[in-house]
Amino acid sequence: MPPVILCPACDLAHRRTATPSSGRTRCARCRAPLQRPESAAIETAIALGLCALVLFWLGNAYPLVAMHVGGSSRATTLMGAARGLYDQNYKALGALVFLTTVIAPLLQVTALLYVLIPLWRKRTAFGQNAVIRLLTRVRLWSFMEVFMLGALVALVRLSKFAHVVPGIALWCCGLLMLCLSALASVTSPEQLWRWAVGSQE
Amino acid sequence: MSLPATGRSLGLLVCLDCRLTVRGVKLPRLQCPRCHARLHERKPHSLAITTVLLISAAVLYVPANLLPVMDTRTFFDDENDTIMSGVLVLLQSGSWPIALLVFIASIVVPLLKILALGVLLYSAWRRSPRGRLQRSQLYRMVEFIGRWSMLDIYAISLLATLVQVQTFASIIVGWGAWAFGAVVVLTLFAARTFDERLLWDAPRHD
Repeated sequence: MPPVILCPACDLAHRRTATPSSGRTRCARCRAPLQRPESAAIETAIALGLCALVLFWLGNAYPLVAMHVGGSSRATTLMGAARGLYDQNYKALGALVFLTTVIAPLLQVTALLYVLIPLWRKRTAFGQNAVIRLLTRVRLWSFMEVFMLGALVALVRLSKFAHVVPGIALWCCGLLMLCLSALASVTSPEQLWRWAVGSQE
Repeated sequence: MSLPATGRSLGLLVCLDCRLTVRGVKLPRLQCPRCHARLHERKPHSLAITTVLLISAAVLYVPANLLPVMDTRTFFDDENDTIMSGVLVLLQSGSWPIALLVFIASIVVPLLKILALGVLLYSAWRRSPRGRLQRSQLYRMVEFIGRWSMLDIYAISLLATLVQVQTFASIIVGWGAWAFGAVVVLTLFAARTFDERLLWDAPRHD
């Protein structure tokens, strides 16, 4: 491997140095982050991943919000939100919501566990490198934190003319959002490749 | 003045998927030896693809803001809301922080993204050497804020699912929401197909 790191944002060549132990290094020319420090242990990432999986299940199994007005009430789940658009014949829009709030977070967590659990046991998962690449690409489409804020906006708009009760799933999604961002910060692409390459040597 | 050493001048490539530095060989299809992603010195046809995506987004921005995004039908009236009137409804109901949030995420951010990408494209096409660091930072900001425009889509999808005929009113999604969703997705792709490194490539000598 050439002893050079190229800045992915401006193509400037830097001499490769040891991975910094704290703080990230930045490109000397365009200030884009170059190297992130060696982060938490692989066990931390697996624990966060399992936690996210449980929260994801709870977030989908229970209603997100319930609305009471007059004598009737209605509730929806996370998947129900995408379903609502689909049922009103906005299929592409429903698919977009489904992809960014259900498929992408789920794929992100399961793919991560699929790769990390064998690595933790000093083995290599089948098709590991392709899965890591899929994982880092799918992560760009996981919009949980935006969904939470959208849910907040919807609650405020409804509370004007109905009694709105936030459900268990809403709290779970909030925790899931925190869990996913913690997970993303301990499993940066560089860190994943560091673990993966370490196992192959 | 000597030019700074870049991957291009040293004959090296960086894999954008796994950040591996690879010696550039003149092969028609170059793959990353580690993650098997396709490697390119610069993203292929970056300027052309980004321009097409950006123009489509700019065209759809008009119906996204003029067409109603939802139609609220109650026993008494029928109210069509565009994105802007939705913001005004929130403002009237006294929740100005939420109104401001929706205004920024749904109106300011998409417009800013379209304008910023337009500026970046034009300057990359001209290979202008001025204010490169600022433009590079502008690009990173566009990349970071892009996803927040989805906020209104999520709010609408929840409202349309919860408020149905069985209750007291019904909310029907309008074509404005479709156009708006398309603007968000198109600008997200436009930001990703744009190759930042084009901002830093040496100016043409002619």
